[in-house]
Amino acid sequence: MIRIERRIDANPWWTAGTLVAALAAGMLASALIVATAGADPFEAFRTLFFGAFGSQKAVMTTLIKSTPLILTGLATVIAFRAQIWSIGQEGQVFAGAMAGYLGSQILAGLPPLLFFPGVILFGVAGGLLLGGACAILKTRFGVNEIVSTVMTNYLAIYLLSYLLAGGPWAEIGDGASYQQSVPLPAAEQLPLLFGTKLHIGVLLPFVAAICCAVMLDRTALGYEIKALGTNPVALGHKGTNIARTIIAVMCISGGLAALAGVIELYGVGHRLKADNLVGLGYAGIIVGMIGGLRPLGTVLAGLLFGGLASGAVSMRVVSDIPASLVPAMQGIILLFVLCASVMARYKIVRGTAS
Amino acid sequence: MSGLFQEAILISIFAATLRTMTPLLFSAMGELVTQRAGIWNMGVEGTMLMGSFIAYFVATSTGSLWLAVLAAILAGAVMGLIIAFMTATMRVDHFVTGLGLNLFAGGITLYWFQSYVRGGPQPSFAGFEDVPLPFLSDIPFIGPVLFSQRLLTYAALFIVPAIWFLLYRTRYGLELRCLGENPKALDVKGLSVPVRQYGAVMFGSAMTGLGGGFLMLAFSDRFIADFSAGRGWIVVVALIAGNWKPKGVLMAVVAFALLEAIATHAQVVGVGVPRQLLLALPYLASIILLMGVRFRTGQPAMLGFPYSRE
Amino acid sequence: MSLLPSIKEPTPANARKAGTEETPLALRVEGLTKRFAGVTANDGVDFELEVGEIHCLFGENGAGKSTLSACIFGFCTPDAGQIVVRGQPVEMHSPRDAIKLGIGMVHQHFVLVPEFTVLENIIVGTQKSGWRLDDRAARQKLKSLCDAYGIEIDLDAYVWELAVGRQQWVEILKALYLDVQILILDEPTAVLTPDESARLFAIMRKMCANGMSIILITHKVAEVMQSNRVTVLRKGKAVATVQTKDTSPEELARLMVGREVSFSVNKSTVAPGDTVLEVSGLGARGYWNEAVLNQVSLSIARHEILGIAGVAGNGQKELFEVLSGVRWSREGTIRLNGEDVSRLTPRAMMDRGVGHIPDDRFREGLVGPFSIAENLILGWQRNAKYRSGLFLDRGKIAALSKTMMARYQIAARDDEVPVENLSGGNAQKVILAREFLHSSGLLLANQPTRGLDIGVIEYVYAQLLQKREEGFAILLASEELSDLFNLADRIAVMFKGEIVGVVDPKTATVEEVGMLMAGRRMEAGR
Repeated sequence: MIRIERRIDANPWWTAGTLVAALAAGMLASALIVATAGADPFEAFRTLFFGAFGSQKAVMTTLIKSTPLILTGLATVIAFRAQIWSIGQEGQVFAGAMAGYLGSQILAGLPPLLFFPGVILFGVAGGLLLGGACAILKTRFGVNEIVSTVMTNYLAIYLLSYLLAGGPWAEIGDGASYQQSVPLPAAEQLPLLFGTKLHIGVLLPFVAAICCAVMLDRTALGYEIKALGTNPVALGHKGTNIARTIIAVMCISGGLAALAGVIELYGVGHRLKADNLVGLGYAGIIVGMIGGLRPLGTVLAGLLFGGLASGAVSMRVVSDIPASLVPAMQGIILLFVLCASVMARYKIVRGTAS
Repeated sequence: MSGLFQEAILISIFAATLRTMTPLLFSAMGELVTQRAGIWNMGVEGTMLMGSFIAYFVATSTGSLWLAVLAAILAGAVMGLIIAFMTATMRVDHFVTGLGLNLFAGGITLYWFQSYVRGGPQPSFAGFEDVPLPFLSDIPFIGPVLFSQRLLTYAALFIVPAIWFLLYRTRYGLELRCLGENPKALDVKGLSVPVRQYGAVMFGSAMTGLGGGFLMLAFSDRFIADFSAGRGWIVVVALIAGNWKPKGVLMAVVAFALLEAIATHAQVVGVGVPRQLLLALPYLASIILLMGVRFRTGQPAMLGFPYSRE
Repeated sequence: MSLLPSIKEPTPANARKAGTEETPLALRVEGLTKRFAGVTANDGVDFELEVGEIHCLFGENGAGKSTLSACIFGFCTPDAGQIVVRGQPVEMHSPRDAIKLGIGMVHQHFVLVPEFTVLENIIVGTQKSGWRLDDRAARQKLKSLCDAYGIEIDLDAYVWELAVGRQQWVEILKALYLDVQILILDEPTAVLTPDESARLFAIMRKMCANGMSIILITHKVAEVMQSNRVTVLRKGKAVATVQTKDTSPEELARLMVGREVSFSVNKSTVAPGDTVLEVSGLGARGYWNEAVLNQVSLSIARHEILGIAGVAGNGQKELFEVLSGVRWSREGTIRLNGEDVSRLTPRAMMDRGVGHIPDDRFREGLVGPFSIAENLILGWQRNAKYRSGLFLDRGKIAALSKTMMARYQIAARDDEVPVENLSGGNAQKVILAREFLHSSGLLLANQPTRGLDIGVIEYVYAQLLQKREEGFAILLASEELSDLFNLADRIAVMFKGEIVGVVDPKTATVEEVGMLMAGRRMEAGR
């Protein structure tokens, strides 16, 4: 007889095994979905992975595409480790891009060494304020953070839409109907790395991941974040100001997500446009969760999903399968990974039936 | 502005309120049952979106609107099955489950939609039309507001007392409310907690699917990405603001619908506020509303806590 | 079943008398074994319950009483062994099966819905036919049950309105309403005053006279002595079953612990010093804005232990929360060494040397997944002692936990073990170690011995007394009167958020304290 029993000690191999099984099951389910839409799953996956990792150019696109995903993934990690279910990453990406763009108008003309850190700070501040606002809604007014962050996501999206469609930042002329700003001048675009197509922003997620890992593992704030996520009652009773910790968490999380938006603006899109930003925040939630809410795992998951995003383009071109397969796959895999995370806490034992 | 014109506008706003309210009300009443049973379902948005897409798909491919309604209900129930499996069987965190489901629904509807259209011209359909009730619709003012609506809107008005009756006057309702307050009290009487939670979630999600279907079939003739546009979240807010009571939830839903109707009409009439900011109004309102709701005496005590015997 | 001659079916009137030769068995458990994640909770337990008897399951916490009863009630399935009900071997997979067999249970932590009325709590899930809620038949049946057993309760009162003691009657009625033949009562007197306990036993005897059989789970010797038979459990094994009239409290205690219990508390006589804590006119309100503390005044001096007696839920928890800064009082003042600390945060109280041992140790005192080392610095994680620069100094923290584990005899594989995997006793030692390390002057200990084995209780006693000798002022609340009589210099009794009397343990009797716990105030002049 086979039974399921709760584990006392986590077994890293079992945990990894359940995760791999979940990824595989997710892929299989995705293949079925592809088949429901009348396409060939093998063809789809072949072109998808070739487009992601099949050539030097593909790998570079993958790196660029994974940059914002890792950052929004890290934003998810920080919030979710504290069991703060912020899903405001989407709106914070928008806020980061908007605030970063505002920065360019104020700081225009500064030398690059001052300009880029300046606009990045502007952008980060935008997301930080938005995250912090939701934190205060939670701590002062008891507004559930899921609801408030969803609502602020819509607010941020509508604000950008207003600014770009007939608003102050709209591109005047032929492009006016496209809902975008004028392109940034070349001097205001992030410089490229040694003659590659990679902008220097691709290094940021790795730096940020290391900072997050050290912060969670080695600092008092990290200790408080983890304790908040497991037993806020004990943390509060033992003298830590819970409200302040929540605000800190959501500010950091918002700042990280906003970083994704501002890097996307200055490194990739080079103009403010909703299409470049949409979905980055939501995908980041999946990336962070599939990364096991660990910074290192998030980097790996981000690279995987960045790869899928980059492969989706070639999949569409070569196999005529819609690129939206990728978000669908992400969603499916996430559901499986969630189940796996529960399975990781159990073990299968062969019981002796009486 | 002439009095006649003002009256026409008012009638139009109130009629629109009822129409806008319909999908929200179906979903909110369904989710009320789900949440009273202790499952804090955050997957309403995704479920509604799925209902909308399936309704669109069936309506355009078969041409039958009522078949589309049925399909939307079924699609909702299937989504409910997934939520119930994850929360009641796997005992994944309720919030995380809902988030996962929303992302899943957002991705997969878009993929199915793009696969369905494949760059060709997008199929469309002729949606539900108003069914003015004989005689009643001729009453001045009230007639055009209340009695010139879609059939499902009339149905939605009956759903509130029906749910109230279910929750407070039947033995199933007592058991449902017990699940949300203390599921162990049912368990120790030998009743299965998961079976009832499956039932409650699937019922609620089917209603949300119906809401999504109505949204599609009565308001539009074609699908677009993120079609439900946050209405599922409005439902979640309405439950909290309505303190998990049928009447309170109804009032919250009416308030949102009225706001949306006013915002839409303000565009038509042309007030000096940008369109996008008017559209953002319901979202802003829900935050402000929640800031005002301080006491949640109606919140089921075990809402959102996965039940296990350990 | 109905075709068999039902000699084993109890017939209420003569069950007990007819069975003097060979009393029919209501229930037999043979060789029951149950393991949880590697821990053997029950190891080959044999147990018999005769019709019409009160049979005690007696043992320390973790001896396997609750697991055994959970198996009998179908809440968990045994790994090995057999349960025989009225001569029929049965297999139970859920409480549904148990209820069908006429087995009912009153849980230690009540399984009630506070938002429901008494009636709703009783009938929920019992109506088998019809879809409309129908309570007419239920009312009638409950009325006759209440009359038969002398239970007085308003069926339409909400459960949250009832005092904890009265909620026990709702639980009893729930079981009676289901027509159970075998009733398991798990620590039913934990929330009852001595007076209410006596009434409960009277009702239990009435039930037995009506042909029911009762399994009473308890760790209180005084209650065991009122039963017919006792089965003593120790470390998952049934070590003895004896007739109560043939045994003595001393023998039972020895059987329970497995060795001679010599409970000699070495309390030195130190004169109290300066006043450390002075509380006057404290008042606080709860979630429903009801008064949870009312005009509480007390003071504790150096070298003094002030005991707080009272049935659970009479404001002890709130008092500790106010004193530790977790909850704010509405009125009154708290002075610590002369300083007004009425409105300080937990942080500020901790910085003033106040240590707090909470009653719910895993919820309020520890972070479950954190290691022993991490829990030892909970609340002090920002302290310069445990930091080097920006980072936590892991070396220093590890060294600290090594020392503490040795000093407080914390049994664990290493200091990286998550505390949620520790036994209650070891977890409590982690809290003691942390609070003793970081406090000076005042110690607030709420139910520090709850759920602990006798060995650990002795240890906690010694530690508290040592702190008293060192000059600490200690506020000690306990539901076990023996704790207070052993340790306290004065005992204050709480009832409904008020202190209804203060007695000297050297002269007072348990009965006196019991009266106060039931809310009878001391006459003026004492």
